[in-house]
Amino acid sequence: MLALDIFLSGLVLGGMYALAALGLTLQYGVARIMNLSYGEFLVAAALGSYSLYAGIGVSPMVGLVVVMPVAFALNWLIYRILLMPLVRRAKNRDVLEVDSILATFGLLFVVQGIALVIFGGQYYSFSYLSIPVSVLGSTVALNRLIALLFAAVIGSAIYLSLTRTRGGTALRAVAVDPVAAGLVAIDVKRACAFAFALGGALVAAAGVLISMFLTFNASMGVVFTMKALIVVIMGGVGNMLGALVAGLLLGVGETAVARLLDPGLTLAATYCLFLAVLLVRPTGLFGRQAR
Amino acid sequence: MRPRLLSMLGAVALLVALASYPRLASSYHLALGISVLYFTVLATAWALFSGPTRHISLATVAFFGIGAYTVAVLGEMLPWPVVLATAGVIGVAVALLVGLSTLRLSGIYFVIFTFGLSELIRQLVTWYETNIHRSVGRYIFVDVTQEQIYWQLLALAALVVLIGWLIGRSRLGLALRVIGDDDTVARHAGIDVTRAKLVLFAISALFMTLTGAVMAPRWTYIDPAIAFNPVLSFEVVIMALFGGAGALFGPLLGAIPLVLLFEVLSANFPNYFSILLGVVFLLIVYALPQGVIGLVRRPDRHPVKHAIAASPAPLAVIGGARVEAASLRKAFGGLVAVDDLSFVAAPGEIVGLVGPNGSGKTTVLNLISGMLVPDAGALRVDGRDIAGLGAHRIARLGVARTFQLVRVLPSMTVVENVVVGLAFRRRPLWGEKAHAAARGLLAQVGLADKTDLPATQLTYIDQKRLELARALALEPALLLLDEWLAGLNSIELAQGIALIRSLRGAGITIILVEHVMDAIRSLCDRCVVMNAGRKIADGPPVAVLAEREVVRAYLGEANA
Repeated sequence: MLALDIFLSGLVLGGMYALAALGLTLQYGVARIMNLSYGEFLVAAALGSYSLYAGIGVSPMVGLVVVMPVAFALNWLIYRILLMPLVRRAKNRDVLEVDSILATFGLLFVVQGIALVIFGGQYYSFSYLSIPVSVLGSTVALNRLIALLFAAVIGSAIYLSLTRTRGGTALRAVAVDPVAAGLVAIDVKRACAFAFALGGALVAAAGVLISMFLTFNASMGVVFTMKALIVVIMGGVGNMLGALVAGLLLGVGETAVARLLDPGLTLAATYCLFLAVLLVRPTGLFGRQAR
Repeated sequence: MRPRLLSMLGAVALLVALASYPRLASSYHLALGISVLYFTVLATAWALFSGPTRHISLATVAFFGIGAYTVAVLGEMLPWPVVLATAGVIGVAVALLVGLSTLRLSGIYFVIFTFGLSELIRQLVTWYETNIHRSVGRYIFVDVTQEQIYWQLLALAALVVLIGWLIGRSRLGLALRVIGDDDTVARHAGIDVTRAKLVLFAISALFMTLTGAVMAPRWTYIDPAIAFNPVLSFEVVIMALFGGAGALFGPLLGAIPLVLLFEVLSANFPNYFSILLGVVFLLIVYALPQGVIGLVRRPDRHPVKHAIAASPAPLAVIGGARVEAASLRKAFGGLVAVDDLSFVAAPGEIVGLVGPNGSGKTTVLNLISGMLVPDAGALRVDGRDIAGLGAHRIARLGVARTFQLVRVLPSMTVVENVVVGLAFRRRPLWGEKAHAAARGLLAQVGLADKTDLPATQLTYIDQKRLELARALALEPALLLLDEWLAGLNSIELAQGIALIRSLRGAGITIILVEHVMDAIRSLCDRCVVMNAGRKIADGPPVAVLAEREVVRAYLGEANA
């Protein structure tokens, strides 16, 4: 039964990671921004969801409807105001990568600082729908199942719109080659801003869903950024299915380590997984070999 | 020698003056002095690695914390020098571990890895302390006064600047400049890129660890949250960037004002410190991408030193290599770029590699030069199997190349570009000798009067000449030319052909990928024709180019 417990909890956690990684791969793959403040936005969304629930009794599922558009708008503004100057000044992709790492590193401390001023350093959690449900003989809280369901719905919706619509095809074209995409009349700047904002909305969704069943505090963002990055790399940059598989793998692996060894060693486990992938397949589990 | 003697005397005088500072300062000012010094060491050490390589390391506090924790654990048991040495060894070991696993890959993996490294080590230490040591915090009782901390930091600062200065004048320093400019060129000039980065990262980490160890006694109590506070990594990056990470004294220029600023900010706005820090950082990234030092440095930092009119030195006859490819294969996913290709080039022979676009010619050159590793087959140069050797080792065996899209090193002058080729080959040249040899090679390719120009100011043909000179600098037994004659006008083409022909005298084996048929006819002893990854013909140019299958590959069935 322990194995099933681990598998189910791992699946839920992994689903969250996959959702967050999907957003990050949009920001990095399409907009070419390596966003180190990514996890801070996840935590900010979780704190926002907490305030909505604890303050005015809005359920996290309704909270999603509020938080996601706000995050979309906020990230769009961040891209247009904060990152556009860097994009314009960058001579090539490498320069932009370094500049965006630095700029978002600064942003990390600003967002975290604001969150600390408002919420302080203590841990938050709220009990929402923590009703035990029996799944195949194992007991899972209802909120976890709902979170997983929502992640699956949001993730599939994004996946389908990226692969089946004109707009999605444009984003994927920019991801492959921004210059060539411009030549076939795709508005690259708009596509990048949109992808960055969409990535922000996805990580906010992950934040809200995670807030339903995990304990969190204002300074936890780095860990989430790290995990999302590792999932993206393991899956291969720009590879959405890869991110899904890698996310689930990481979730299950982490849960197994937490249950069987020690919860204090989960990050170490994550790192080991990361290292193993880097050593064996530097382009990711499903990444295509660069020519 | 006199100016150098003077500046050395000046440096010593400055050190003595700085060393007597604790005698004059109040304890508040001494504490401030310690802050300035320790941030100076950290920021300089950071820039030592991250400046030239442009790999942003976010792990400063990981090493700093390792140093501090070593003191916390061992401080009372062992004599102080042994404690410092142990800390240094642990720091370097961790740096090598991190570096070996990430530095051979693209820079982004390194950044990501270092981003979480301090958090990882913090969690591991916390886990160890709670489960094994059974208490999270530790008290540090080491008998070290504030003055002694100050002097140790001063010594570290002097040492890190000295080492930075020495590296800047060494071949390692030149290697790093090349790597910063163009990783690929570096590998093909015989530079072991991974090793150079690794060495530098380890040196940088050593200083960070020692700083942490020296600073540890300032706290009487430490726990993982204090020792591995990520804000420290952040502050160090800010300071180095503010001053200018590209110059040795840049971080120093950044550390002094920012330590004072942070002092004021943290005293007056303790709750908003992190926000203000972030804002200051963003301002620096946007307004001062080159740092303060970028504002004051003259744009022309390549004064024309010695305009000796160099004369073309005839190339030493070194003899060409015998090249043998046997059943070579390389696939990219489903696309087989090179398929079961075999050919031989005899010593001193000029072999043309021709074929329609996309037939795999450049891939063959990339396989020989070590840019790519073949999936199957053997590749021998003078009998030695070079498949999978790594570009820098192949380059040192005497295999030089030019690139289809010209790659000169943009931050360097023309002559420096060639010195790069001389400095890392099997029989390296360095200093005055290298400069003289470089000028000789430049005269050989017709750039005698342009040696001190920035490489980027050259015209297209001159950049091609420069690339050829850099390749010749490696003393190649085998030269790979990738469409070196493409894009030249008719006069330049005639000059180019004459230039390549002149290399025949030195006995160098040449494999050239070319579309200019006149050049192929007049230069090549033999042609290997490729189509869709396979060899379809091999023989003297005139005969081969008339073959039915070759014509079909180029012009289609109707003309065959």
